[in-house]
Amino acid sequence: MVLKSMSDLKAIVEGKPGKKLVLAAAQDQHSLGAVLRAWKDQIIEPIFIGDKEGIQNICYAEGYDITGLRIIHEPDIDKSVEMSVRMLSSKQADILMKGKVGTSSLLRSVLNKEWGLRTGNLLSHIALFEVDTYHKLIAVTDVAMNIAPNLRDKISIVNNSVSLLHKLGYIMPKVAVLGAVEMVNENMEATLHAALLSKMNQREQIRNCIIDGPLAFDNAVSLESAQHKGIKSEVAGDTDLLLMPDIEVGNVLYKSLVFFAKAKVASIILGAQVPIVLTSRSDSEQAKYDSILLAAAASK
Amino acid sequence: MVEKVLSLHRKHRIAVAWAQDINTISAIHKAVNYGLADAVLIGQSAEIKNICRRAGINHELFTLVDSEDEVNASAEAVRLTRSGEADITMKGLVGTDKFLKAVMDKSSGLMNPGAVLSYVCAIELPAYHKLLFITDPAVIPVPSLEQKIEMVKYAVEMAGRFGINKPKTALISASEKPGRHFKSSEDYKIMCSMVKKGEITDCIMDGPLDIFLACDKKSVDIKGINTPVNGDADILLFPSLESSNPFYKGLMLFAQGELAGLLRGTENPVIVMSRSESEKSKFYCIALACLMA
Repeated sequence: MVLKSMSDLKAIVEGKPGKKLVLAAAQDQHSLGAVLRAWKDQIIEPIFIGDKEGIQNICYAEGYDITGLRIIHEPDIDKSVEMSVRMLSSKQADILMKGKVGTSSLLRSVLNKEWGLRTGNLLSHIALFEVDTYHKLIAVTDVAMNIAPNLRDKISIVNNSVSLLHKLGYIMPKVAVLGAVEMVNENMEATLHAALLSKMNQREQIRNCIIDGPLAFDNAVSLESAQHKGIKSEVAGDTDLLLMPDIEVGNVLYKSLVFFAKAKVASIILGAQVPIVLTSRSDSEQAKYDSILLAAAASK
Repeated sequence: MVEKVLSLHRKHRIAVAWAQDINTISAIHKAVNYGLADAVLIGQSAEIKNICRRAGINHELFTLVDSEDEVNASAEAVRLTRSGEADITMKGLVGTDKFLKAVMDKSSGLMNPGAVLSYVCAIELPAYHKLLFITDPAVIPVPSLEQKIEMVKYAVEMAGRFGINKPKTALISASEKPGRHFKSSEDYKIMCSMVKKGEITDCIMDGPLDIFLACDKKSVDIKGINTPVNGDADILLFPSLESSNPFYKGLMLFAQGELAGLLRGTENPVIVMSRSESEKSKFYCIALACLMA
């Protein structure tokens, strides 16, 4: 199966029992609205951990109905994050979401050796985009977490992403490794990584997907462009997952798709025991809602 | 942009290297029809005439110069430009590397002495309120500080031709927070201080900025960041070809962008276009070359 839109994503979780989502330091007006909406739509079962009074004040001011909402009072931010993470590592819940806490302190707790959510895999970020001008959803990684991944990191990032896509119903997702050019150029490390990843895929060192690269952005998403250049590739023009060379490239692309191409986006962190929703203040409420949706679909 | 060029009432002469390519000829034909330019088509004349006939274009609108291979055709196009018989050079079906070799030849080429060869393009986007100038999406893989400074100058000069004074220049990164992970941060810091000291002039500059803070006022307000670019950038300078290239291609494919781009650092405008660009973009490139000539 291939997902064409965010509604396809919703179809995956609809009708299933709601996954338990823990909002850490829940007194956060930027994330609380989206969580409550997802609760109302029966996508998730939220558990708010944080300053009860702060949470109630925000909900009162925004007019949210929180009758029946499970709130665990813990005014100290660090403690509320630890409590949240422990709840997940003891399997009492399915999804972790960042509230009013800095990304770095949340991740520190996630990576805690004693009670954290480590699996031994690298943590990586994945973003799923719905763009009018592309025929299906396109996943992009890593635009927010790993700054300059080396080859080993990129293998982990691909594996994290491919196993997510499998959970969403993909059988052999097509992975394009992005370069500025489609030829291997010894001065551009990303093209060397791309060539190696493609070969490792052919040799079944990386499985359950079809990898090709380097592909320039236009070849990756447009068959016409690829044909113009005479590129023969199973992936060109039909990419499910785009692997970025580094965070600078990924972040610029992510933000320009959202801002200039009016893309819808859902994003989560992979590689921990549970999916983590880690949105930023400047994400739209819709993007936060869709990210929760993605986490619920990823949580099996 | 086209109107701007037409209002200058100047007609240019374009020398096209290895011109037997329908996309190139139809873009040139459009420019000739608009009265922007005359053209010298260098290549296999018989083939050029065939292509024109099939496309219903009168080949007598152009001057044809016979040439037997792409290297000679490129050299001839450059020679015509150097001698003043043409004032714009354009790549036809020849490979970019061979064409640039002729352009960059130290004794017979078109480079300004000591100049940095770079590329600037202007992008028109439905989702942005004005033209956006991008550098460098095509030539320099990872620009040094010196190259970045030249790139800004080229972009500022181009924006100036469009009547934009003191363009707001955003130095792009993944985050507005400088960090040791980002090699560009240090260069950006130096460049901003050079603007303050008046060593880089005629622009307002800030960086590092991400795309949101560069182009979206709302994001600036949400994050409460004080930046002179203020979500209203005219120019985006990218830290690498790897980041700029997918940026512009993404905008072309997904955000209905149209672009006009030009090599900089040459004495005369040199047009190098990718084969997969739309005809509209190709025509815009020619119009831009006329504006910069």
